[in-house]
Amino acid sequence: MTTAVQPAGGGGGVQRPSASALADVIDTILDKGLVIDAYVRVSLVGIELVTIDARVVVASVDTYLRFAEAVNRLDISEKQKGLPDLLEDMNQGGAKAKTKGVLEAAGETLRNLLGEDERERARRPEGR
Amino acid sequence: MATDTGEESAVYIYGIVPADVETEPDARGVGDPPAEVTTVRHGKVAALVSPIIRGGSLGRPQDLTAHAALLDAAAAEVPVLPVRFGAVMTDEESVAEELLGAHHDDFVAALDEMEGKAEYVIKGRYVESAVLHEILAENEELAQLREAIRGKPEDASRNERIALGEQINNAIAAKRDADTWTVLEELTALGFVVNAREPTHEEDAVHVACLAETAKQGDLEAALDRRAQQWEGRVQLRLLGPLAAYDFVVTQRPGE
Repeated sequence: MTTAVQPAGGGGGVQRPSASALADVIDTILDKGLVIDAYVRVSLVGIELVTIDARVVVASVDTYLRFAEAVNRLDISEKQKGLPDLLEDMNQGGAKAKTKGVLEAAGETLRNLLGEDERERARRPEGR
Repeated sequence: MATDTGEESAVYIYGIVPADVETEPDARGVGDPPAEVTTVRHGKVAALVSPIIRGGSLGRPQDLTAHAALLDAAAAEVPVLPVRFGAVMTDEESVAEELLGAHHDDFVAALDEMEGKAEYVIKGRYVESAVLHEILAENEELAQLREAIRGKPEDASRNERIALGEQINNAIAAKRDADTWTVLEELTALGFVVNAREPTHEEDAVHVACLAETAKQGDLEAALDRRAQQWEGRVQLRLLGPLAAYDFVVTQRPGE
């Protein structure tokens, strides 16, 4: 499935996703925008913590090991995509209009899954 | 509009718009099932709101996308001041008086500034193999470290691998700073207001918000097309928008 949405470096130009992917939405609406007093006055909103986890980007030993591994593999995968970066592929699912051979429905499914995968990525320390 | 004002209900707030904005009858927001979105007006401003069950949980992916989709659709047409996800007030009266009434003039001034403008977000992600090649080519020490590690068992070389990875991470961060600066400069030269965002992924190349006149969206796209072509094979560049101006509203505006 991941190969289906590879950009193959071709086409050029900036990608214009037709709809915002969940990851993009999370980046934007959870810590930006007006904050009103209501936050402290009404404590009804229980934003699920798992959703917020998806935003966490921490450079850690696991990140370093992943980079080391990616560098080690560089020669043998010279012409290919370095790592099957699921998240990136998911994001490109949002840019399906620009990508040849991608089923519309597949893009939708990918977007729906995005939250799950990012969450896993943030939580699972061993990475890949 | 008739909103359930029973004890169990409260009012979820999406954003602030001019008072003459009408919501579509089929506009839906957060909640399960998605609640009907209406407006609460006060003077020249209005809040986009929907009823929400008190004590319910919020934050499913559908809630997040509903909040963003509503505001972004509005931002393409009218000035909007987006409120951060998760704001709730007790009832419509408190929205009208304590939110809209208390900040009326500030909201009017901010909406005036937002007239005809929207936010665009530019995201670039490095093509991993390309950026790693670039880094190794520029840094002899790293290339040697990599050679030293290759062929060693993973366990025996763990510390070296961590050191190598950390330096690569740092090298990517330096490239990110430089590439972000490039984009900021190009957008500023076109007269757009920019705001750099924190990276959200270790291979982010660019993460920038831009406030632009929607009439100049074509100029923005053309500039980013040129940038994407120059970076072809190295950075995947995406442009999101028009969006509500999340990155360009501040909570306390000095009255003018």
